[in-house]
Order: sequence, then C-alpha cells, then structure tokens
Amino acid sequence: MTVPAGVIPSTDESAELNQVVSEPHSRPPRRLGRTLVVGGLVLLICWTLLSPVLWTAMTVTKPTNIAFVNPPQFFYEPTFDAFVNLWQTTQFYSYLVNTLVVAVISTVFALLIGVPAAYALSRYPGWISTLLLVAALVFRALPRFAVVLPMYDISRALNIYDTTIAISAALVAINQPFSIWLLRNFFAEIPEQLDEAAMLDGCTRFQMLRRVMIPLMGPGILTAGIFMFLFAFQEYLTALVLTDVNARTVPVFIATQLGQTLPMLQQAGAASMILTLPVIAFAFIAQRYLVAGLSSGSVKG
Amino acid sequence: MRRREFAMLAGPSILVMAGLLLLPLYRTIQWSLQDVDYGSPGKFVGLDNYRQAFSDPRLADAVVFTVTLTLLVTAVLVVVGYLLAAFVNSLGRSKPYVLGLLLVPYVIPHIVGATMFSWLFNANYGGVVTYAIEKMTGIQVLWMTDTWPNRILIALNIIWSMLPFAMLIILAGLQGVSAEILEAAKMDGASPVRTHLSVIVPSIRGVLGFVALISIMDVVRTFDPLVPLSPQAVQLGNESIMLYIYNVAFRDGGQDLGLGSAINVLLILLIIVLLYPFIRGLAKEARMR
Amino acid sequence: MSTSRRRTAAVAAVVASLSLVATGCGAGSKTSAETATKVECDYTAPSGKTDVNVLAYNSSSVDPYTNTMVSSCTKGDVTVNHEPIDFAGQVQKTTATLAGDSGTYDIIETYSFVIPQLAAEGKLEPLDDFVEKHSEEYGLDAINENMSGAMTYDGKLYGLPMQAQMLIMAYRKDVFDELGIAPPTTFDEMRDAAKKIQDAGDIKYPIALPLLASADIVTAYDAALGSLGMNLTDPDSMSANLDTPESAQALEELVSLKPFMDPQVTTFDQPAVQQQMYNGSAAMSIMFSGRMNDLTLESNSQFAKDMAFAAPPSVDGGDILYDTISVDGWSIPANTKNDKDMLFEMLASSVSEKASKASLPAAYPARDGMVTESSMPFATAANESIAGVPPSEPYPWTASISNAITPMIADVVVGKTSIEDGTQQMQAAAEKILAESK
Repeated sequence: MTVPAGVIPSTDESAELNQVVSEPHSRPPRRLGRTLVVGGLVLLICWTLLSPVLWTAMTVTKPTNIAFVNPPQFFYEPTFDAFVNLWQTTQFYSYLVNTLVVAVISTVFALLIGVPAAYALSRYPGWISTLLLVAALVFRALPRFAVVLPMYDISRALNIYDTTIAISAALVAINQPFSIWLLRNFFAEIPEQLDEAAMLDGCTRFQMLRRVMIPLMGPGILTAGIFMFLFAFQEYLTALVLTDVNARTVPVFIATQLGQTLPMLQQAGAASMILTLPVIAFAFIAQRYLVAGLSSGSVKG
Repeated sequence: MRRREFAMLAGPSILVMAGLLLLPLYRTIQWSLQDVDYGSPGKFVGLDNYRQAFSDPRLADAVVFTVTLTLLVTAVLVVVGYLLAAFVNSLGRSKPYVLGLLLVPYVIPHIVGATMFSWLFNANYGGVVTYAIEKMTGIQVLWMTDTWPNRILIALNIIWSMLPFAMLIILAGLQGVSAEILEAAKMDGASPVRTHLSVIVPSIRGVLGFVALISIMDVVRTFDPLVPLSPQAVQLGNESIMLYIYNVAFRDGGQDLGLGSAINVLLILLIIVLLYPFIRGLAKEARMR
Repeated sequence: MSTSRRRTAAVAAVVASLSLVATGCGAGSKTSAETATKVECDYTAPSGKTDVNVLAYNSSSVDPYTNTMVSSCTKGDVTVNHEPIDFAGQVQKTTATLAGDSGTYDIIETYSFVIPQLAAEGKLEPLDDFVEKHSEEYGLDAINENMSGAMTYDGKLYGLPMQAQMLIMAYRKDVFDELGIAPPTTFDEMRDAAKKIQDAGDIKYPIALPLLASADIVTAYDAALGSLGMNLTDPDSMSANLDTPESAQALEELVSLKPFMDPQVTTFDQPAVQQQMYNGSAAMSIMFSGRMNDLTLESNSQFAKDMAFAAPPSVDGGDILYDTISVDGWSIPANTKNDKDMLFEMLASSVSEKASKASLPAAYPARDGMVTESSMPFATAANESIAGVPPSEPYPWTASISNAITPMIADVVVGKTSIEDGTQQMQAAAEKILAESK
C-alpha cells in the first residue's frame, strides 16, 4: 500500500491518480472548458494567497510619498529606488551573506547528526526510543522565550555570542526534533532485512548506513535538508537574541526597519521581497523531491 | 541493534538537544521558582510565581483566547489544506509552478509576513482591503481596535502563513493513496465527494493527524503576528500566552523573569495536555512493534 | 517547457543571483556612515585590533551623531561599529548589555528618562572627570547646563548630552489659514479648532496624537499631568499623586479628544502619527521634535510645504505646557572592557560643534546657541516649548511606575475602565513600586 522509499513516483502514476481523484464526471468533459475553470481557480488561489506579497511588491516600487497614502493609489510610475537604497545605504549584503552561511551550516550539521539518530531510533525498538521521540516532540513545542535567554547566557559563556556559529548551533538544536521525526519515518519504511543483508556481507553498521541506507534515502534526506534550509531564513526571535553587530541576519534587519522612516519602511519591504526569492527558486528546483520525499514513507502516523 | 551502536548513532543528536534545549528548559524552571530580574541574582520564592500567575485574570483570558484560536485555526488548516492539496494534486504541467508560488507565505518570517499583511488592512498605511470593503459596503472596519475584526485578522494571518505547509504534507500523503482502493471506489460508482470523504480521508488520517499536531504546537505559541497586527492586544483581550509572557517578562529587557518563566512552564504543560492524544498514539504504536 | 530546460533555466537564475551576491558590488557603498560629517577624534589608540560597538536607535535626529562618531573615530586598528536598531530593540539590548560583568556595547545611547535608574544601579560610568579633562579640546563648556542637569544623578554626570527632544505641535498651515484658525494654545482651543475643521468636511479626524496603548500613551498622560502642575510622585513624602483630581482631569482631557481623533488612535506610535500627517488625514499633531523634520520633506508627503510648527498647548491655560523634554546623550557602560578615556573622546567628538551643526534641522543640539530660525524651521516652536516644559522627575522609580501604569491608562482611554477605577488602580501600582524603592 505504500510507495517504497526512494522511489520518485513517475508522472504516469500521478497522472492516473489525478484522473481518479479529480474527475467530476464519468464522461470525459470538454477539455477547453475544464482548462479554463481550472486555470481560473489556479489564478484565484495563487492571487489570494500571494496578495500580501503582491501588494508589498507594489508598495516598494512606488515613489515614497505615495507608497503608503490613504486612500491607496494604484497607478504610478514604478521605481526601484528602494532596492538600490537597500543595497547601497545599508549593510543588507552582509546580512544576506550571514543568513546564507547560517542556513548552510545549520542544514549540514542538522543532517550530520540527525540522520544517524533517526536511523537509530527507527531500528531500536523499546521504551527508550519512544521516550526520546516523545521528548523530541516536547522539545519542538518549547516556547522560544523559555530557551532564548539561557541560550544567550550559554553563548556569552562560550564566547561565541554574535557569531554565525552560535545561531547555527541554536537552529540545529531547535530543528532537530522536526528532522528526527521526519527522517525516522522514512527510515521506518525501509525493511530491517535490508540492514541485516548488508551487514551479512561484512559491512559494519556505520558502513552500511553510509553506503546503503543514505543513498536509498536520498529524497528523504533532501526533503529534511530543504526544510532545515528554509527554517533558517525564517528564524527571527533566536537570531534577535543571539546576534548583534556581527552576525545579524535578514529577518532581524527587516524587523528593525519596520518602525522607522518611510524610505526605511520601503527598504524593509524590498528586503522581504528579496528574501522570498531563494524560496521560490528552491521550491521550484526541489519541489518534486519535496513532495516525493514526503510521500515516500513520510508521516503516515 | 546493540545498545552501544544506538548510543553512538543517536548520541550527538541527543547531546545537542540536551545542551541547547534541555539545559535552557532547566534554567527556566529554576527561574520560575525565583524572584529575579535578568542580570541580577535571584531570590528563591518557591511557588509564589505560580500562585501569582494563577491569580491574574489576564492569564486566564490569554489561555482561553489562545486555545480557541488554536483549535479554530487547526480545523481550518486541515480542511482547507486538504482541499488545496487535492486541487494541486490534480494539476498537470502547472503543478511545480503553483507549488513553488504557494510555498512563499510559509517561508517568509512571521513578523515580516504579518507586517505585509497589516499593510493590506491598515487604513493609515493605505490598506487596500479596508478601502475596498469601505467602497463596496460603506462599512469602515476597525481591524486594530475592534476585538472581533482583530481576531479575524490574526486568524487569517496565521492560516495564511501555515496553509502551504499543511497543503504540502497532505499533498505528499495523497501521493501514497493506493491506486487499488481508488479503482475500487470508482467501480462502485462513488461520487468524487464520497470518494474523498469515505475512502481517501480515512486512508490518510495519519497525515491529517500530523498536520493537526504541528498546527496545534505552533499556533499555541503564537507571538510574532501579534506584534504588528495587534498593537492593542491587551485592551482587546487578544493577548496570546506568549505575548503575555513577553509583556510581563521581556519587554523591558528581562524584568520579572521569575513570573515569566513560571508562565513559560505552565504553557509547556498546556501544550503537553493538548498533545496528549498524539503522545498516546505514539506510545501505542511503539508497543505494537 | 521540458523538465530539463526548466531545470536549466532555474539553475541559471540561481547562479546569476549567487554571483551578484558573491561580488556584492556596490553593497553598502552609500551608508550614512560613509556620508557623515568628519570631525576630529584624537584619542590614544590602544595597541592591536580594537572594536568599539555603539548602541543607538535609528532616527533622523540621532543618526547624524551616531554616523559622525562611526566615520570620524574609525581609524587605524580601531573600528567603530553600529548596526541599525529600532527604539524598542535598543531598550532591550541596553538591559542585556548592562546586565553582566561584560557587555557587547562600549557606548550606549541613553536618555534622561532612564539615567536615574541606571545610575542608581551603578551600571554607568560617571563622566565628570573626563569632561574636565577634555572640556577645552572639544568645547564641552558650550553644552547647555540644564541638559547636563537632566543627565545628572546624585551630583554626578552619567551621560554626555547630544540633543534634546521636546513635544512640538505640527499643523497644516493651509487648512488653518483657510478656516481662519490660529494654532491653539489650550486644549479648549484645540478642541474648537478641531471641530471647525471637522465641520468643514474634508478632514474627519483632525487631531493625531501618539497614544499607542502599550507605550506612548503614558507619555501623553504624563505631559497632561505635568501641564496641570502635578508630578507623578512626591519624592519627599514618597507618595504617588495618581489619585488626585489633576490625575483624573489629565485622563478626562485625553478622553475628550477622542471624537476628534482616528478611532484607532490607541494603536498609533509616532511613525503612525507622522503617517496621518503625510496622508493629510490629520491637520494637527503633537510629537517629539525629532519627528518634525521628516514632515517637511517633499519626498515623504505631498503636503510637506504646508507644515507649520508651534509650541504645544497647555491643558487649561497655565504657563506650563502639555509637554515633556527628553535629553538624549551618550553613556559609557561601567562594564566595558575598552579604554574609557578613548571612549569618552569618541563621545565628545560626536557632540562637537561641527557635528552638532550638521545635525540641524533634524535635531535640537544640546549646545547653546545653535538653534535659530534659519537653522531650523521649528526653532521658535522648540524654544517656546522648552521654556514651558513641566519639571522632569529624575528618580529611579519613575520609569518603573510609568511602565506599570501604561496598560491602566490605556484601559481608561479605550473605555474599558472608568476614570475613577483607573486612577485607583494606577495609585495602587505606584504605591507598591514606591514601597519597594524605600
């Protein structure tokens, strides 16, 4: 009943699925009519869900003195001053680099320690595993306020305050529960006989993990990695507390611009738009893996 | 698997979580038993902070508001997420584009997304939606100072930011629905609505449960959206538990940390209570193995 | 588009943007620090690489001083760093950095409101010796005595004043002239003027005040109370005056303005009030002087040329105005590891004459004689405002009491509690804090 792990569903299979799941009539409907309706729905849904972003895009390209007027103006001569000023009059570039660095480091380390842990949890039955999984659940549910101040203290004590290391470490820890959960479910789909077969051939547990499991788990690991990467772009509160002058990230920067003068407000909007670009790019390139990875094994519960 | 192997494989992860999550949690519990401001040494006061927390009607209001918001938003996320997932699933060549675009609200940092949202509704900053509503119905909706419009605004924003995630997970779940079951339903002459309700939904209820789980966990801890969308939250009774903690313990830089930590602990307990059905399911599943 | 073509296009886009990011061409080339005034900043540099971190919120009036400091004092191995931050962030970071044995920041922006508390807790370095040592070099004698006084606690100076901010009323000259109204000098006149403007039909809610329920509203209450001749507390008897008739009247006056203000006024911070003026939604507003310059910029609003300024009105006709003065300055945290003499020279250079002059017209410098009609469009208003400001309350408990009574004031203004209940709650809260301070 389940799709084996690591197999990306081919387009034929999903097409069959599409047909059965969405076809409203038993007789084949007129192609054009259906396409128009579906297309219209797609446009409506995308437009509704993206309306705040679209409106922000309009706002940041308006001349400053009409950007926030009430009643709102819809016709104007677009200008990219906000973007230019953002790039030139602020340190946005370094914040962007910081955010990217943090995202990469935290993703790599999260996977490095999360994959083995998830594998172990899927293979070691018993109350310890359950306890750890429940603990992971509770950890994910911790309110940020319960952890940020102590994290601040720890980072100052270790002298890594206001460095990308500190915020990356925090992100790894905060997102471990989610990644362990996700990966563990993927691993659970791979039958244990495979482990034993590989080990019979003389591999140690670790070698087997590296040479057999991980390649098999490709989409799953990619999925977890993509989520980790995206979470790093999103994190605000932890970055606010753990960074100051050196390691500031884009979300923190945007937040500081929000209560300021109008040009700075527009720059905040411009920065937000720029922030969404990596997302769209990623989702575009990787969405197939995202869905496939999640479906293969994933979160059946 | 031998115990030693387990320890070595899972060790690093457990260490990291223990160091950066368990330790802070312990510190928080410590603080909750003290009368302390950040930076100064604390004085042990036992359960005084907890007593003070329970005697504040504002906390009770915050709990009611937050829990109601959570349950409502979760329900909407599961239902609308399902509808969206089913729809996107049926798309052909446009699927990757649509999926990519729809993922955007999820990844924008909450505080940024909420500000973008507020620009749509805040008349003072040229809110289009308010303007459109006024033009069409003549009603001037006060999103920031009327309790219920503000609640709708907050709920809409949270749903907006979490819907893509729900949709994504359910979409993945839909891929796993076996073709045989669908064939059988089709041959039985089931209508599409019937197929969805009686066949597909039951077979992915694990996925739906997961979406509900994450949604409950995250919405109960709502904080970021309230900052731009509800500057007057306290007066409107729209203070979430996290916002209450912030106002009490963090706004001026860590004052009354003891009380704030106590409420943190209470919030964690509340979340555990809300997640109990899921925890029980986990334990049951583990026992079956 | 086939999968592989689509994939290629996407990858190409990513590579293109990554290369832009990698080169970072032009990034940060025109930061305000780059374009700031350069002044003498002659300190003895310590050996080795040194970082000096400055904490200061961004605003048109503080930025000139911050930027001067950063650009003039960064030389050799010493780098002065400043990151943009908003006021709320500064408040939090201040507490965090002063909390332990060592902090992140070596120079922090402080203001008269918080000096008493921080000084009483021993978190700031007294500056008197440094002032004496460097007074001639940086012309520190010219700093206004009253403003220095505002940053003094228990006889010692804890902050070097850079500018003062006082409440100023900004109004639309064209609207007022058309209706034949003069800028109001009392709250009664303000209500009358607002009614006239309302009746004329164009502007529905002529008055805009920053009454943000979580912060600014307490400043409004305090200004009204001061104008009625009453202070929050009486330090000699250690009692609070929040249940006096004047306190009730202060609240009444604020409530009485509601029909003339936007229904959502209790969510307005100062930028929102500026926005009301930019949009022409309001015809008069009262804000801190640092916000005035923005109103005159045509890049911000089409009504920029019609803005005029006056001192704020008094509540019921006395000499004391609905007003408050905040002196902004630089302080040195007691826990900084850098050489404090060097840090002081940086402070002093940023408030030198040249720098102060460059901060006009956005800021009202703390140096005597800088504010004239030609240097600042609202000079007359500012000077009149300073002349009529209520006495400040430099006690360690003032800040705590203000924070505690803020939600109660908001509840009254919003209509959730009656004035009677509100004042009683406020009094109780204040008395509790005073008792702890004894």
